Amino acid sequence: METEVIEKIVSIEKPHLEAPPDWQPVIMGILCNWCSYAGSDLTGTSRIQYPPNIRIIRIPCSSRVDPWFIIKSLQTTADGVLVSGCHPGDCHYISGNYYARRRFLVTKKLLNFVGYHEDRVQFSWVSAAEGQKFANVVAKVTEDIKKLGPLRLYKKENS
Amino acid sequence: MDYTKQIKEIAGKLFSEEKIDVFIGYRNSGFDENQVPVLIHHYQDVDQLVFTEKSVFNLTNYLKYEHTRNKRVGLVVKGCDSRALNLMLTENQVKRENLYIVGIACEGVVDEAGQKAQNCLECVMPDSVVFDEMLGTPSGKREYQVNADIRELDGKELTERLTYFEEVFENCIRCNACRHSCPLCYCDKCCIDQETSTLYHGANTTSSAFHALMTWSLHLAGRCVDCRNCEKACPSHLPLHLLHKQNEKVVYENFQEHQAGMIEGDRGAFYKYSMSDPDDFIM
Repeated sequence: METEVIEKIVSIEKPHLEAPPDWQPVIMGILCNWCSYAGSDLTGTSRIQYPPNIRIIRIPCSSRVDPWFIIKSLQTTADGVLVSGCHPGDCHYISGNYYARRRFLVTKKLLNFVGYHEDRVQFSWVSAAEGQKFANVVAKVTEDIKKLGPLRLYKKENS
Repeated sequence: MDYTKQIKEIAGKLFSEEKIDVFIGYRNSGFDENQVPVLIHHYQDVDQLVFTEKSVFNLTNYLKYEHTRNKRVGLVVKGCDSRALNLMLTENQVKRENLYIVGIACEGVVDEAGQKAQNCLECVMPDSVVFDEMLGTPSGKREYQVNADIRELDGKELTERLTYFEEVFENCIRCNACRHSCPLCYCDKCCIDQETSTLYHGANTTSSAFHALMTWSLHLAGRCVDCRNCEKACPSHLPLHLLHKQNEKVVYENFQEHQAGMIEGDRGAFYKYSMSDPDDFIM
């Protein structure tokens, strides 16, 4: 990532506020029940450490994710969103993640179009056996969001 | 483009044969040069009907309300309107046997300034795709081109787009006219309404406008037919087409050149999938 671009975004998103020194990002993790949630479970049972910034919601399938969930998260508390589901071909409901994939692309492009940095919303495929990958993904997303700083764009006043 | 005489004849014939209960068309507003939609219930009112290049509104919007539900309806549709109607038929919002559709081979309507409207310049399907009777000579499908505003904004930097859209969302007054004027927004309860009440600190702020417009446009992604009823209804004159056009561009470029409502029985781009859909943005 180009540091210049990030600095510009930071200066617009928080014109009068610097990030507090002890600031930690809040990341909304939307995980599918059958793969990614089980994968995160495996991360825990394998005692692999990952950043505690992620707040996990369990959903039945990645195609349950309405773009509205992502927008709502960004508008309220979250500084970033991670949506994760089964690998293509591994969906418990045969084809749910293929439908989800199309929606994710359009959501990501539209958010980028109205001025969100593309790292604010990220997607991943994590299977139930990929405990290490889940830890790596969360670490990467947390690092990306930390670089971008707190999200203060279009936030609800009381959140 | 003046089909006033033919439409009067058709509507009169339909009423005298008792084929329809309501006819939806356009009449002169009486205040200015513009036209407004009109619902005709009796044979003697048929003389009000007109159709010229000032007939800008999408009449399929009136099919989603109570006063036309379960009635036999005749209506006039242009190319873009017929695509919306096609989607409404596919999504089981109206019954085909209740409709008598007068299709128009459209030559483009005018905007407020009297010039040819921007969406007509970029129109991909000027002829009605679903009709019982066609007026004019069809000119066929045209090639898709990316909207000029989208091309301009895409060339700009992220921060410039951010400041541009901040102003757009700031000017929204959350009147929901865009939603009510859209023929494809027919849900009885809408998820963006939870932000309406002032009790919840949500009404009429930039934040709630962002939430409402983004959710609205993403729920219309792959379905919007670019009739621009929303933009004509917007009291703040927001460039709402930008959000829809951006989605349309992404859908067209990535999902096998999908265009909404072109083929009968074809649902939106998000009701189907392909193994070769782009995957490189996913970790």
